[in-house]
Amino acid sequence: MGKYEGDPEWDDVVPIPQDDGEGALAQIAYTDEYAEAMGYLRAVMAAKEHSERVLDLTEHIISMNAAHYTVWLYRASTIFALNADVEQELSWVNDVALDNQKNYQIWHHRQLLVDHLYPSISSDPNAIRKFAESEVDFMTQMFDEDAKNYHVWSYRQYLVRKLNLFTEAELKSIETLLRIDVRNNSAWSHRFYVVFSDPKYSTPGSHATEYDPKIPDEIIDREIEFSKAATFEAPQNQSPWNYLRGVLRKGGRKLSSQECFAGEFVKIPENGEEDIRSSHALDFLADVWAEEGKVEKADEALRLLGDKYDRIRKNYWDWRRGTLKEEGITKGLAKVELAH
Amino acid sequence: MVEPKLDIERHIKYWQRCLKTLLPTQYTSTDSNRIMLGFFILSALDILGAGPDTFPEKQRKNIRDWVLKCQHPNGGFCGSPNHRFPDSYYVDVGHGKQQMDPASLPATFFAILSLSFVGSFEQIRRDDCLKWLKTLQRDDGSFGEIVTQDGVIEGGRDMRPCYLAAGVRWMLRGDTPLSEKEKGDDIDLEKMVDYIRSGQTYDGGISESFQHEPHAGYSCCAISALSIINRLPHSPSLSGTEPQGLTNIPETIRWLVSRQVGYTVEKGEDEEETKTPAPPVLQGVYENQPSAPTPSLQDEDSVGFNGRCNKKVDTCYAYWVTASLDILGQDKAQLLNTKASRRFLLEHTQHRIGGFGKAPGDPPDIYHSNLGLATLAIMKEPGLKPFDSALCVTKQQKEIIGRLREAALSG
Ligand SMILES: [Zn+2]
Repeated sequence: MGKYEGDPEWDDVVPIPQDDGEGALAQIAYTDEYAEAMGYLRAVMAAKEHSERVLDLTEHIISMNAAHYTVWLYRASTIFALNADVEQELSWVNDVALDNQKNYQIWHHRQLLVDHLYPSISSDPNAIRKFAESEVDFMTQMFDEDAKNYHVWSYRQYLVRKLNLFTEAELKSIETLLRIDVRNNSAWSHRFYVVFSDPKYSTPGSHATEYDPKIPDEIIDREIEFSKAATFEAPQNQSPWNYLRGVLRKGGRKLSSQECFAGEFVKIPENGEEDIRSSHALDFLADVWAEEGKVEKADEALRLLGDKYDRIRKNYWDWRRGTLKEEGITKGLAKVELAH
Repeated sequence: MVEPKLDIERHIKYWQRCLKTLLPTQYTSTDSNRIMLGFFILSALDILGAGPDTFPEKQRKNIRDWVLKCQHPNGGFCGSPNHRFPDSYYVDVGHGKQQMDPASLPATFFAILSLSFVGSFEQIRRDDCLKWLKTLQRDDGSFGEIVTQDGVIEGGRDMRPCYLAAGVRWMLRGDTPLSEKEKGDDIDLEKMVDYIRSGQTYDGGISESFQHEPHAGYSCCAISALSIINRLPHSPSLSGTEPQGLTNIPETIRWLVSRQVGYTVEKGEDEEETKTPAPPVLQGVYENQPSAPTPSLQDEDSVGFNGRCNKKVDTCYAYWVTASLDILGQDKAQLLNTKASRRFLLEHTQHRIGGFGKAPGDPPDIYHSNLGLATLAIMKEPGLKPFDSALCVTKQQKEIIGRLREAALSG
């Protein structure tokens, strides 16, 4: 006899069995436990029952199939209908999240809970700070398992928006993660968001790929220095190189403003062996030289990448050499036309 | 070096096993997406030339009936019979039929594709489905995956639903220009393009939104969606006035090719992502010893793909990256190291019982097995049918979908 079938508390419920028919695709060897619980879930959903026992049932199903897309919504609406303790639910969700690292639904559920809770603390800065701290603590626990967990970072960005966490503390906590692993690209992306979407000084709605004239110079300088310091630590780490390009674009500055810096990792003497400490520096310089119209130097950098320093992408570097020449020809033609 | 081979017979056996026998209990966590699993099975067999067109008619009919059984009375499809109540429950309570467990966008996309393998579109409640599709779009142009009885749009806010919505729309509406009335019932393409444009990140990739980290899966969904609605550069129907969906294609290409990671067995797969020891301070420190690898001077025999910068290689990212470049056109997939990535798939993630695992040494699963095979098909592997990367089916199947749509519309 099943768990629910034998339970007097569930006597009044007639489960709705699953009807798969003959041609079923992707049939799964369900456990009896799962099949039975699902029948009871369908029955309570049909009756729109929101009760304590529904919380138990949804918890049971989530433990077997955390990716069930409506059991979570049904649980949330039950919590709200019962006016149940949201903080207690959050702490239960913490445990489920730690056990299901890859699950998305948990984080959506958490957002629904926070949206529900927020009005009760929104007028009290102390309460908001306390809440933010406890959430960040929990995320730190998650990051101990996997510091690049995509869902956790999504939630982090939601929380920054919701609680306006464009703060020194938030930047510090990203730095802490980068000290542990300077190659944590998720942390780099989050930093970009927190720095360049800060409502205190950024243009509302400015895209990540656009120049934003409202960003103060000292912020641009600070971020350039930040990415440089990280690059010196690990020159072959692509994250800070990408970050640097992004910062320069936000600040409306030319790549060539950082030619000297990139040159620290690339020595190409007239005679003798070159010394290349980072393929990304060479790529950066190729763009700098193209920007300055030094087509031959740029082409040599791309050749070195394809032939020697980044051979797995040879096809790509060769293609770049081709477009470099095409652009050179187009520019040359444009000049000729102007001369006429 | 001997070139590895794709053992087509063994892969067919793997997929027939998935089709005919119960999937192991561990698949319970994908119970809500069984239609998607079903599609991957049918589609993989099609790529291998052993698709549902070779099944007996009785079997095709059974599959068709099963998929249609998952159709929601208000339009769209549920992801599994576990979400579909018996008909009598969807009574009308004054404002349309009860939602019960609502239809889902991913399920709808995969259900329509699955039906295309086994017959006709005539039993798809096309108008209901398109009406429902419109209700999934949010004000910012993004799409959710479900709408609750109270009209709340739920589900992720990222590029996947944009892709799925574009796909469902194309399968049911096609490319022909819409009448004014039809336009009013259509999803808002301009807003969707805006949403996708705003998801591009500082490093050239595409993320769920500009706030987050770019991801090969989201990048591919965004690029596919734009391709399906003809909003990539070089799209034949793109007039001068409509904005292109991608802001900086050279940067996107750089980001995509950067997903290739040399793979050598000696190094061991978990070394790829070992955490570096904590350096004392971050700012202003100059260290001679780089804690990340130095530029690679050797030829790598095998090249895998990661989905994000500095992450591990995974079979499915070979697909998301190769498909993205393929869709960008002009043979852009040739910018990849095709020979070495083929070697990676065949020697390191292909399994001896057929199928592909997520990472070297992993057992095969339906998702990675399908995408591994699809990657090889895009790279024009002999013995596999030519592949349409945007719709994620063979080119032949895409044509069939067009014909089924026309037949249903004129029927
Ligand atoms: Zn994968």
